[in-house]
Amino acid sequence: MKWHLNKQTTLLLVPAFLFLLLVLYSLVMSFVESVKGPDGWTLSYYQSLFEEERLYASFGYSLWITLISTALSIVIGWALVRSFHTFIENSLGKWILWIPMLFPHFVWGYFVLLLLGQSGVLSSVLFNLGWLESRSEFPVLVQDREGAGIIITYLWKEIPFVVLMLLPVYTQLPKQYGEVIQVLGGTKKEYFKTIEWPWVQPVIVEVFLIVTAFIFTAYEVPALLGVQFPQMTAVLAYDWFYGISWDERSFAFALLFMISVVMSLFALLSFLMLNRRRWLISKSQHQR
Amino acid sequence: MKKTIFYILSSLLFLLPALMLAVKSFTPVWKWGEPLSFEWTLRGWEVFLMDPRIYEALFVSILIALAVTFLNLMVGFLTGKALSHSVFKGKGLLETFLLLPLFIPTMAAALGLHITMIRLGLANQWLGVVIVHLVPTIPYTIKVMKAGYDRVGSGMIQQAKVLGGSPFHVFRSVELPLLMPSVRSAVFLTVTISMSQYVLTAVIGGGNVITLPIIYYPFLQSVNDTVMAAFSIAFAMLPVIAVAAVELLSKILTYKGTFVNRGVT
Repeated sequence: MKWHLNKQTTLLLVPAFLFLLLVLYSLVMSFVESVKGPDGWTLSYYQSLFEEERLYASFGYSLWITLISTALSIVIGWALVRSFHTFIENSLGKWILWIPMLFPHFVWGYFVLLLLGQSGVLSSVLFNLGWLESRSEFPVLVQDREGAGIIITYLWKEIPFVVLMLLPVYTQLPKQYGEVIQVLGGTKKEYFKTIEWPWVQPVIVEVFLIVTAFIFTAYEVPALLGVQFPQMTAVLAYDWFYGISWDERSFAFALLFMISVVMSLFALLSFLMLNRRRWLISKSQHQR
Repeated sequence: MKKTIFYILSSLLFLLPALMLAVKSFTPVWKWGEPLSFEWTLRGWEVFLMDPRIYEALFVSILIALAVTFLNLMVGFLTGKALSHSVFKGKGLLETFLLLPLFIPTMAAALGLHITMIRLGLANQWLGVVIVHLVPTIPYTIKVMKAGYDRVGSGMIQQAKVLGGSPFHVFRSVELPLLMPSVRSAVFLTVTISMSQYVLTAVIGGGNVITLPIIYYPFLQSVNDTVMAAFSIAFAMLPVIAVAAVELLSKILTYKGTFVNRGVT
């Protein structure tokens, strides 16, 4: 086994390193912009950022939407895979699951607006059926303060994503493991604990991190289906970036930089903790 | 039984919305409180396709998506191969680092690059937009291509080399045909992600690079749901067209007379 990068592998990796450099550079520049004052370096923007009421409102609102959307997507998506994985692979069903993936998030957001808005299709149909007296009787599901429309859109888009990420894990899970447990007289609970969970955990963690990071900082859907106050982090950052004052521009950089650092540390720690286990699993497999 | 439940559930949740948008794009505007009208009309598509801005936006979007896809595949093939077929110290860590861009706000990357792009003259240019679209796409492509190389293994590639094939010939006759499933997924993901970017394009393109998402938002102000539905369906068609185009291209690139899909699958 060769342990050091040889020349050929290094060459293959050059584009990947350039890409990492680009991302790193953008983060460094975000930090630089967040500490650059009119007269030299300063951390005062971070200080005043934490005095902004809009920041706390945004964090609370974003966190609520993110956690509920992510948790429900994973729970529902996982349940779907567990109950249906035996026949989704190589079937028409898999193509149906791909359909929401075809549409950008904001298009799906528009669909939610069209279907579930107060003047939407559903409300109109219910009125025609005589179930509603007027459109104001239809619940405010879109552009509401609780972010219901945003959550619905994300669930609709992320559940298929979770299913498609977990599907290969379940189809590759060796059947012999289950047979071993059965022969040795193990229960379903033991099967889950000793085989299924260790097998799917890395992917669940990865999906959780991807979806969380995406929803917490995405702009498109909340810009379409959100309200003026509170705003999700990306919308707030966008407003600040194009704001009138220099301070606000620095706030935008400070906010995004802070989120970047927290999220990447969180992801890095999770992966480092997982890697040890993953290494053990791969050790027990055949080397191809 | 389970199968029936699954098909009912998935059709209702995932197929029906797409069908509804498709039907909506061919029916007149549905006014609230009036019965839904299903009179067949091409009005929505006409308005959508008559708008001269649409053509320009379509062209720019496709240009950007093509460039992003090309760069993604290039990085994906090289990095995927290196991560899958060679062993070196710190490989696990490098793999993790290559996933990290998925966990930082893409807006941080866009705003961070903004000033540099202005200095380099890349802001307000399609090329600048291409560069920033790499941030949310490349981690996925690397992941997909690495999994592809894992699946294929190094045996066939080594065999082709032993028989004296040049690297390009080996690529055409062994790697490309065997990796097509991964290429398809990577292209599909890259194009859909690139087509979904509003804020990255708006920041770096500065209102000068007009892609489809950039005009989708102002279109929302028009209450014409028929036109909006046509526009929405157009978005879903692009990734499908892209995958078909790549399929065609790979057919041309692939060395004729290979035993496609024999042996290792």
